[in-house]
Amino acid sequence: MSEWISLVILIPALPLVGSIVTALVGRRLGERVGLPVIVALVGSSCASIALVVEMVRAMATESAGESSLGFERILTVGSWIAVDARPIGVALRADPLTAVMLTVVSLVSLLVAIYSTGYLRDDPGRPRYFAFIGLFAFSMTMLVSVSNFLLLYLFWEWVGLCSYLLIGYWYQKPSAAAAAKKAFLTTRLGDLGLLIGLFLIWMQFGTFDFHDTLVEGKVVAQGIFGLSRLSAAAPYAGTWMVTTICLLMTWAAMGKSAQFPLHVWLPDAMEGPSPVSALIHAATMVTAGVYLIARSAPLFAASGSAGLVVAVIGAISATGAALVALTQTDMKRVLAYSTISQLGYMFMAVGLASSTGVASGMFHLVTHAFFKALLFLAAGNVLVATGHVLDLRRFGGLRHRLPATCVMFGIGALGLAGLFPLAGFWSKEPILMALSARASQGGPEGAVWLVCYLLAFLMTFVTAFYIARVYFVTFFGPYRMPDESKATKPESCRAMTVPLGVLASATVLIGVALKPTGWFDRFLAQTPTLACLAPEEPFHAGLMVELVGTAVVLAGILLAAFLYLRPNRLLDVLSQMMRRLGLYQLSQGKFFVDELFYALVVGPLLRVAAWSGWFDDRVVDRSADEVGRAAGRLGGLLRLTQNGVVSFYALAMMVGLVALLMVIW
Amino acid sequence: MSAATILLWVSAVLGAASLALLLAFWKRGATVRAGGIVLGAVGLGLFLGRLGGLHDVMGAFWFYALAVVTVVSAVATITMRKPVYSAIWFGMTLLGVAGLLLFQGAQFLAVATIVVYAGAILVTFLFVLILAQPEGRAAYDRKCNQPFLSAVVGAALVVMLSTGIGGMILDLDLDSGEPETGPSVECLCAGEETAHVARLGTELFTRHLVTVEVAGVMLFIAMVGATAISESGKKRVKIKRETKS
Amino acid sequence: MNPSVELLFHYQLVGALLFGIGVVGFLSRRNQIVLFLSVEMMLQGAAVSLVGWGRYHQDWGGQVLILVSITIAACEAAVGLALILMLEHRRGSLDLALWCRLHEDDLPDAAPDPSEEDLAPPEIDWPRLPTAGLLPETPPEDEYRDHV
Repeated sequence: MSEWISLVILIPALPLVGSIVTALVGRRLGERVGLPVIVALVGSSCASIALVVEMVRAMATESAGESSLGFERILTVGSWIAVDARPIGVALRADPLTAVMLTVVSLVSLLVAIYSTGYLRDDPGRPRYFAFIGLFAFSMTMLVSVSNFLLLYLFWEWVGLCSYLLIGYWYQKPSAAAAAKKAFLTTRLGDLGLLIGLFLIWMQFGTFDFHDTLVEGKVVAQGIFGLSRLSAAAPYAGTWMVTTICLLMTWAAMGKSAQFPLHVWLPDAMEGPSPVSALIHAATMVTAGVYLIARSAPLFAASGSAGLVVAVIGAISATGAALVALTQTDMKRVLAYSTISQLGYMFMAVGLASSTGVASGMFHLVTHAFFKALLFLAAGNVLVATGHVLDLRRFGGLRHRLPATCVMFGIGALGLAGLFPLAGFWSKEPILMALSARASQGGPEGAVWLVCYLLAFLMTFVTAFYIARVYFVTFFGPYRMPDESKATKPESCRAMTVPLGVLASATVLIGVALKPTGWFDRFLAQTPTLACLAPEEPFHAGLMVELVGTAVVLAGILLAAFLYLRPNRLLDVLSQMMRRLGLYQLSQGKFFVDELFYALVVGPLLRVAAWSGWFDDRVVDRSADEVGRAAGRLGGLLRLTQNGVVSFYALAMMVGLVALLMVIW
Repeated sequence: MSAATILLWVSAVLGAASLALLLAFWKRGATVRAGGIVLGAVGLGLFLGRLGGLHDVMGAFWFYALAVVTVVSAVATITMRKPVYSAIWFGMTLLGVAGLLLFQGAQFLAVATIVVYAGAILVTFLFVLILAQPEGRAAYDRKCNQPFLSAVVGAALVVMLSTGIGGMILDLDLDSGEPETGPSVECLCAGEETAHVARLGTELFTRHLVTVEVAGVMLFIAMVGATAISESGKKRVKIKRETKS
Repeated sequence: MNPSVELLFHYQLVGALLFGIGVVGFLSRRNQIVLFLSVEMMLQGAAVSLVGWGRYHQDWGGQVLILVSITIAACEAAVGLALILMLEHRRGSLDLALWCRLHEDDLPDAAPDPSEEDLAPPEIDWPRLPTAGLLPETPPEDEYRDHV
């Protein structure tokens, strides 16, 4: 029974220790600099899996007697601060949602860390890199396992910091430094929403805790997602307030999960090393927003309209990003927009705020973590081979040069495209199903949901097309290599292929293993926050769905193959047509969101800053200077009296004497 | 404000104006100078005029004569542009002061003033002038520092002193209805004419013995100091010349 | 007014006048020797005042104090004249304004150069020519020089 306590503590603690050790003695470890963090992450991964196993076992034994509100364990480590005599405790929680997140985070972190030892073999900054990776793993695991909004916010910021540090890992590169700044500022803009949300949460609920505070088995303070509150009939009164909180959280999640219009930082974040892109900007950190909404699902369910907002934002992001990904020529940028698009799918799913929706969204999160990490790491291999050239137009036909990577990337691409029976299929189809189910409920909201569903459905085709385009352009066609590639080795080392293999097998297996059996849904449904939601019909993959889904995906892939496998006149005609219509430029220019931001936010801010600078310089500084100078001038006036003429001094003395006599007489 | 006060202020203003004219517009020649003299005369007349007559007519005559001589020659001392004239006018002042002292029963002091000041000190001054005064007219003798300000300050000082002391004396007058001695410009020891110097000597060497000794020591020190200063000054000049050559 | 007090008042006024004139001279003149004379004049003013008080109070103290002040004047003259001589040796001038080293560095020198007007010789009232006759004998210009 008490094993879970040590597991819950070990999972975040080990990476932290690894990070500190790396930071302290990293320089002395030489080649094996990644070892502490890797060992720590191995421990964390094992602990996560053990936690899941432990949880399943506990659920099996308890499900008979316990209430229907699912399974949760709270570990109060200590008290942090007290506000109004209400202590804010450092509490870790263990429930299925957390366990799933922990497993994904620690596993992907481990694989990426192993990969990094190969990828950054000759980089002088490796100790820093691994210290940051360990710190990130600690922050992310804490983020998903704390049972308190304030601590969640704290680690929310920590992962933002780690993201900043790792995007700017090659800080000598101006573009990397700029990208790091951009990412940090943009996500901070989103975090502001969470911060204000926290204030409102405190006003509304008087606590930050998720869980109930129990004293001798009695509830003394209701947590926001406490069992006592969730088991009530209408747990969240004051709908408009709850809606406001939800919208602020959505804003924060948009920043962190790179949803429109706060997505602009993510494509630029690809300036970081590829493993960082894989870990932070594809698999884990960017899913923190999805996690936040999934965690707060009862609130969204209570508010109703907030979930719709989430879904609409997700739909916009999914559509826009997928369309942008069609025309990008930068390999990692395509993947970045693909990430935004897939996160949009997750947003649509969790926006449903139903148990099925959240479960499908979370499952997409899991599968996406694996196949997107796989894609990014494979892209990393390609980069190593091409001498860090990203431009798709400059290389091609790498399948003989990088046979293993070709296979891995292919699996990842199929997974992303959602081809039966790979992971993407099993996670994307339920989302579409859930959306169509909600759309079929009718009403004005139903229309919106219907639009979301249709967009999502269309985008599966677009997704298949753009990822297949990248795949075919990179690995097929005539062999082309940029000049920078001459010094590189033929195929990457084992440290870089083994994690790919693991991820690829996960991509193949995880969907089949977890979804059709219903294991994942059942497991996740034991989360109290999800268990309280209205039960819906679980997902059953019918033959029809599988056929249609596969057909759409295949259509996309085949179209891409037709257009890109060999030189094709139709492609030129199509692109000419698109150019004529301006659509190509729109996509190529990323819908000009960056430019829009610059015109609406950055430009005015710069002008205000210039004006403030002028004001500070000319008014504030000037007045301060003038005060100082005035003292000097006053002194200058007094200095005039010191002219050295004895007569003048005597005159002053006499004037003083006269004045004195006047006073006396 | 009483008429006497107004008179005092008017005379002070006139005196200040006169001094300023005499000091500041040296080179303007006779007209300005005459204007200054007239103003000063009027001012002095007003100033002394408020005193009224003394009881003793002869005494009053002598007093006024001496006072006018003293003050006029004092003004001349400070306004002459040639230092030699200044020194000579200062000798005139000393004579006037000696007369004034004489009328206060201080015959010894009067003589001493003439002998020591006019005889010794003034001659020393002239001697130094002969040594130091450059050939011809010096620019610094023709241009004053802040003449207006100094005149104003000096006049204000006189006003302050005279009102202050006048107030003090008026208090005395009110306090003691009876004078301590008879009204006289006679000497201090009116009764015993022979013994004036003897009395002063007795006073000096009994009650003020220490004062006398201190004065003697001071004279000695001053002599030594003057010698030292002139010696050291000469030496430095010599050194300078040597280094130059 | 009591005649005795009246006499005292007279002497005080004359003393104050002498003192004030001495002050004016000290403040305005630049020739060091004239400065000295002014100081002596202030002393004389004090002496006149003192003798008045002494007579009024029928006390010899006033006269003794005058004697002391004469002594001090003598000392002062000795030391002061020695100083003046020394300074004159140094700078070749009796100008007080030459000794203004205490002044702030960036302030202008206290002794400005005399203007042309200052140095111009005063107009001399030459004897007028008779309508007809010989030029009167004029002494050489040097003799008109003011020199001591």
